[in-house]
Amino acid sequence: MCMENTIFETKDLAFNAQIYYQDIKIIKDKVNFIVGPSGTGKSSLLRLLNGTLSPSGGEIYYQSTNILEMDTIELRKEVSLISQSVFLFDESIRENFRLFYDYRGLDKPSDHMMEEYLKICNISFSLDKDCTTMSGGERQRVYLAIFLSFMPKVIMLDEPTSALDKDNGLTVIQNVVDFCKNNNITVIIISHDNHLTQSFGENIIIIGKEGINE
Amino acid sequence: MNSIIKLDIIHFSLIYLLLLIILAIMKKSKINQTKLLLLASFRMTIQLILAGLILTYIFDNPHPAFVVIYLLGMIAFSVHRVLSKNKDINKNFKLAITFSLAFSGVFILGYFVMVVVGESFFSPQYTIPLAGMIIGNSMTGATLGMKTFTEDIKNQRNKIEALLNLGVTPKKILLPFVNNALETALLPTMNNMLGMGIISLPGMMTGQILSGTEPTTAIMYQIAIMIAICTAVCLTVFCSLTFGYKTLYNSRNQIKL
Repeated sequence: MCMENTIFETKDLAFNAQIYYQDIKIIKDKVNFIVGPSGTGKSSLLRLLNGTLSPSGGEIYYQSTNILEMDTIELRKEVSLISQSVFLFDESIRENFRLFYDYRGLDKPSDHMMEEYLKICNISFSLDKDCTTMSGGERQRVYLAIFLSFMPKVIMLDEPTSALDKDNGLTVIQNVVDFCKNNNITVIIISHDNHLTQSFGENIIIIGKEGINE
Repeated sequence: MNSIIKLDIIHFSLIYLLLLIILAIMKKSKINQTKLLLLASFRMTIQLILAGLILTYIFDNPHPAFVVIYLLGMIAFSVHRVLSKNKDINKNFKLAITFSLAFSGVFILGYFVMVVVGESFFSPQYTIPLAGMIIGNSMTGATLGMKTFTEDIKNQRNKIEALLNLGVTPKKILLPFVNNALETALLPTMNNMLGMGIISLPGMMTGQILSGTEPTTAIMYQIAIMIAICTAVCLTVFCSLTFGYKTLYNSRNQIKL
């Protein structure tokens, strides 16, 4: 039922019996943007896709498999959601990588690797830098770098530039998009920034008011 | 050893005069809690008089049913106290706390009375006062443990969400919270044990010595009750949280706080 280049597909999806989504297709290896007014369930959609929320109706297919038949832990390892609320441990950048990797049951990556991912996110601090002394935007980028380093198959960014100034936001998204293109990672971005959407969007999904209570 | 001097009601009531000191200090320091002090003193008096009457009756007419009813009442009251301070948790979590408190309390109490003292479990003279100490302390431990657990989880929602999105299992995310709460709940009891005998003679021992028991016997009882309390607190909090935290997530690995 899925076309070859579709990685996610939804059918009659509803959440909380309040939000009804039109059928959505996320295209594999492309940059997919989800746009629309506030309160239309964009963030909830991402959480439905990674199975941290359950729909009140309808189905979600990931690579043609209904996600209800999948182990949600495996799904989340492949489909990584970088939410708006950033969490970092009150430690150095290096220690943050180590702790997150430890939670996933993995050894921490090499310093060189950490620096590579930080560079993609436009962070040039030493790995010993304490994360508690960083600005909101810096923390957001370190958080992004850590998630990126796990090399998921799909990366979902919820308002990735909300805490960044315009130039910084553009650079980071450009780098992340380049990185994902080179590594065949599908990107899904929620953004209110028209400029960003127009510059990078290859598949733009508009979730509109008409999607509510239809 | 002399047996205890019985207090007559006139002399006994003189102790209430000490409350005037507290009232005077409160007034001077503008502490607006005089009502609470009077209410607390009044309630304590009434509750203890009732307990005294009931215990006198039970001791005069010992019957297993009385012991069971008294125990059930204590458990129900302590469960109520713990749950009233943790209203926001789900129904199954509450069930886990109820069973953990009841099971741990009765198990440790039974071991103490039947194995260590060598008395019948239905002997009111031993079972009822020891139950009060064991279950009362378990209640305090469970309240502290649950408070720590729920507050930590509330304050660290971001952490839980981030780890969940990264594909970490709810078990791995929540266990550190369980362990931390257990540690916090155990610390007061252990600290209490550290200072025991140096800073103060503990309540049960004081009571036994006052009523004419040999200090060596009183000491053994005190040591036994402290270890029993520590174990009961540990078991209650461990079981409550170990069974309880599993009610916070489902088979889809979604955490509901």
